[in-house]
Amino acid sequence: MPTIILLDVSLSMSRPVISSDSIENHTRSSIAVAAINSFLDYLSVHAKLEYVALVSFSSVHDVAVPFTRDFDSIRTKLPQIEEGDKTCIDSALLGVNQLVMNEWGHQTPIQIILITDGSSGVGAIGRNRIIQSLPLPTLYPVKIHILPIVSPHDPCLQHAMPLYQKIIDQATVTANNSNGTISRGSIYCPEQLSVSSVIAAMTRLCEQHYQEFWCSLKCGQLEARVQLFPAPQTVSHESLTATYTLSNQLHIIGFVQQQDLGTPIAISKHLVIPQAQINNNTSGRENYGSKTPTKDGSTTENITTEEEMSDPSKIPNFCVLLHGALKVEGMSAIILLGTEWWGTLSAWCEASRARRSCLLLSVLKPGVSAAPWLGPLDQLGPPEEGSAPTEVFPVRAWRSYSGGGGSGSTWARPHALLADVQKVLRHARKLPDKTQHLYKELNRLRRSAISLGFSELLTCVSTALERECSALPSNAPPECALQLAHAIAALRDPRTAFDIKHTLQPIAANITLTSMSH
Amino acid sequence: MNSLFPVNHKTIFVLDHTPYFGISSEYPIDFDVSKGRGTGQVPLPPICKSLWTCSVEAAVEYCRIVWDLFPESKLVKFVVSDSVAHILNTWAALQQNLTHVLNGLCLVGPVRRGAGGDVVGLCAAIEALGEASPEQISRTSTDRHFQNRGRIICITSARDDDSIRSLAEIALNTLIQQNKKASIVQPNSSRDSPNATPQLLVTHYCHLIIINVTPEKAETRVNNQQLTEMGGGLMGVEVIVSRASALASLLGRLVLPHYKLSTTTVTGIPMKEEQNASSSANYDVEIVHSIDAHAGLRASQTAAEAAESVVLRWWTPRGAEGGAGGCTGPLWRVTPADVASRPSACLVNFLLNGRSVTLEVPRKGGGRSASHVLAAQGGELWIGALGGRTTYDDPPALSEGAGGRVTDYRIKEFGALMQQNKLHPLRGAGSNARARSRLQRHTTYWPLTISSTLIFNLGSVMEPLTRLVVQESLTDEEVDQCRSVLLSLLSMESRHEFPAAQLPSNLRGKSSGRREEQWRQVWGELEALLRAYSNSSAHRTLLRVLLECRAHNNHGADGESRATVIRATTDSPLSPVGAGNGSASSASGDVWAPRNVLDALLGAPRPARRLDFAGRMAAGNRVAILYPQLQQDVETQH
Repeated sequence: MPTIILLDVSLSMSRPVISSDSIENHTRSSIAVAAINSFLDYLSVHAKLEYVALVSFSSVHDVAVPFTRDFDSIRTKLPQIEEGDKTCIDSALLGVNQLVMNEWGHQTPIQIILITDGSSGVGAIGRNRIIQSLPLPTLYPVKIHILPIVSPHDPCLQHAMPLYQKIIDQATVTANNSNGTISRGSIYCPEQLSVSSVIAAMTRLCEQHYQEFWCSLKCGQLEARVQLFPAPQTVSHESLTATYTLSNQLHIIGFVQQQDLGTPIAISKHLVIPQAQINNNTSGRENYGSKTPTKDGSTTENITTEEEMSDPSKIPNFCVLLHGALKVEGMSAIILLGTEWWGTLSAWCEASRARRSCLLLSVLKPGVSAAPWLGPLDQLGPPEEGSAPTEVFPVRAWRSYSGGGGSGSTWARPHALLADVQKVLRHARKLPDKTQHLYKELNRLRRSAISLGFSELLTCVSTALERECSALPSNAPPECALQLAHAIAALRDPRTAFDIKHTLQPIAANITLTSMSH
Repeated sequence: MNSLFPVNHKTIFVLDHTPYFGISSEYPIDFDVSKGRGTGQVPLPPICKSLWTCSVEAAVEYCRIVWDLFPESKLVKFVVSDSVAHILNTWAALQQNLTHVLNGLCLVGPVRRGAGGDVVGLCAAIEALGEASPEQISRTSTDRHFQNRGRIICITSARDDDSIRSLAEIALNTLIQQNKKASIVQPNSSRDSPNATPQLLVTHYCHLIIINVTPEKAETRVNNQQLTEMGGGLMGVEVIVSRASALASLLGRLVLPHYKLSTTTVTGIPMKEEQNASSSANYDVEIVHSIDAHAGLRASQTAAEAAESVVLRWWTPRGAEGGAGGCTGPLWRVTPADVASRPSACLVNFLLNGRSVTLEVPRKGGGRSASHVLAAQGGELWIGALGGRTTYDDPPALSEGAGGRVTDYRIKEFGALMQQNKLHPLRGAGSNARARSRLQRHTTYWPLTISSTLIFNLGSVMEPLTRLVVQESLTDEEVDQCRSVLLSLLSMESRHEFPAAQLPSNLRGKSSGRREEQWRQVWGELEALLRAYSNSSAHRTLLRVLLECRAHNNHGADGESRATVIRATTDSPLSPVGAGNGSASSASGDVWAPRNVLDALLGAPRPARRLDFAGRMAAGNRVAILYPQLQQDVETQH
């Protein structure tokens, strides 16, 4: 999750910290800088791909460093930040909202680390006013952590605590998105006002919220240890009955063509980054060949394998093979994530960087219907040996707009009713060529009219047909008048017209014609 | 658990089928649109729908939207009320579709004379609320504490506010009575036979909407009533007065808050006219979908704008579009608000034919920003929101990560494995598990790189052994095929061929090493392969054949005498001892496969001009024993 460090630079932050034993002189600001540096240190080891932005605020806010993975740029910027006047959390959050919406939109979860000095800067009335005007909940899912650089016994903190709690609660109050809610943040109070305990509080924060996620990707007996980035979150949503947490084993169950897969309903996407195998007991599997070294070749071979062992990029990794094959075949892997929970794994590359491709895991909406065109996901399987599968992708759904003849459900708007009647009349004018069409449309019309109890329509249509009959040109084939008269009579006969089981049939034209010719 | 079954999980329409509903809506629809067809014609009279027709088509339209967008878990039931309550469908999934309801309506037929009223239907509807839906039945065993809620939409016509009030009170009383019954009956019925009778649940909340329908000009003494709670929050009653002609649009409006839906107007859709195909006019189509699809637009909306249909402009696609693939977030189903209109049909067909449409927020100042994508998948329409960058952009290069610099992965072979492990939509449980066990079997022995294997690089020489061995079981015929592969390898070795000679030229250099060494590797690998698959008896047979072959290979000098005899008859006297292997006793015919001239010269059976003593050949450098078989025969007889 992209992170915003929201740093208080109000005047009160530059108060010196009185400590008994310290040689160095610290202010609250300098402690904050130390805490941020330790945060960045943690990230550069555990979450190198995280985006971090630095926003400083007092009564105005300033995006000191926009979102970046270059943590050094934040480190160099930190000493240059100028101090401001007073703490205004509400306007700072407003600025943060703007920054996030412009950069990440409303679908990306964000973490905010608010570093302040434990005083809200206002009295009780002012505090209530701030609570009222907090721009929370946000449109994007967000988790706010607060790191107050203050002694836990400071009376200021007692005043500020309700405000902090409110900020944290409100941030996650209604995550309006359908991606589900994310867990809430917390307040990380240092045990005392010193560099070491603030850094300890920051470390606690990091360990709880910036943990890298490891798991193993399994394809039958082939296996690779991978890191997922961003780390997947536990999924819970109002429409779900349970919460879903990703297990540490991802099982490939099979493969589908990319075009069959389409775009399933995903709730999050993660890079799958292969990691060096740590335990060497499985690596023997990849080195069948070197099991039979010869006397003369053994020494040199061992040296090279040891060399290769030290460089993980030269040890064969299943992920790289899988990626290559998925790309070449244009396929995706279907992955079992948990009970009733699936994901897909594809080779993915950004449009702008066509050459740099990677494995991307889409975590699907829990449940069997995350991709209805694949059918229920729990019923995906291999066809019986030797027999062709009975069904193929896509599993088609029929909806009201699917076509193939309207159902009377659409006459609520007059134009639809008119269109259907016009269709009947159009065919009536093109007799005898359109005899079959005329009766087909008439039966359709009848069916809808019967289900809606719309007997008036049938009377009206028979009148209209009568008028068509009278308007027939003199040179029209005699069959036209015959068919029209037949249809009119059928529509007016209550026994046939309103019986849903009855189907209107054209009058047997051939017999009539032959009898007329005599 | 409150959210488990929301109020919109179960909806019941109660349609008044009393004689009053047979009267005309008095809203004439003009039929005579046959313009320019001569003036002499008798004009057709306009027609009016009955109140019944109006209420049926409005209710059906409401259902169309619900079932288009939520094919599962949102249930609608129809109760037609006259002298009795006609229940048109159950909560079962098979009866939750328009065709079923329309068929039921056909059987009910138009309004007839007779007594009856809305009360009987309303009571039946409340009973239906107490019936557990299939989803609720599947839940009750695991946790019985979910809230059973629902909504009743009663389309009727009442004299005045008092009769509406008494109708609501009857409903409330029925509900209270039924809850009493359910709380007593429930433990028994669920214990005895949960499947025999529909399980009765306590209803925790019922949202009752009474729609009072009147013809166009009739006066009514019923007034609108905001949602009011009755029975201590057990029931919420809402009264809406509507003209019959406006009923459809009223329900079309009500469905939005009931299911948290929102509408988008796609504007500026270019369409060719039939009359002048050269130019195209622009049309608008309104679509309905989940309100969540607009989440990203809410920032720039005022409250008033949020209530209206969001207008998004059609972004004429250029070339191949990415479909819904560009969406980073979820997708929602879409249905046109007016399914019968021509522009709707055009847009729907465009999408169903596999194209996708990008939508943009119209901006006055210029500049474009794509906001949504419309696309069809599996015959359904979907909308997804675009926008924002992704957190996983600019990924680290695979080539720099673990295994990134290995260049000889068996990608083509893994592609073949993927093709063999393709998934299909099946019916029945356990499909996933079967797929996994199949993959497990196919990957039992699977070297990742070309350099770590020899046997998989030998191509046609190994066919069909490597292909057949992954099967769950082998037929006798397949075992024979595999055996002949092994035997032909044996004969290759006997002819001093390099196994690497079969490799493509670019690989040949890599597998250096002496010939014996290569053969040892081939046999070693084959043994590992067959041992990995030795789970069926046919596979074990194959493994035994291989072990026999290996035995000759490794200990050719002190092999069985019978094999030696054969070798003695077939090998050239020039060949070094133990190099040629002849063939195993079981399939000696294989040795006579077509050969080149040199092979024929070296390997052809020669007339035994001076046959050497078999015992000496077998003994090698040791002292030959005379008649060893005699000794064996004596032993076996005892």
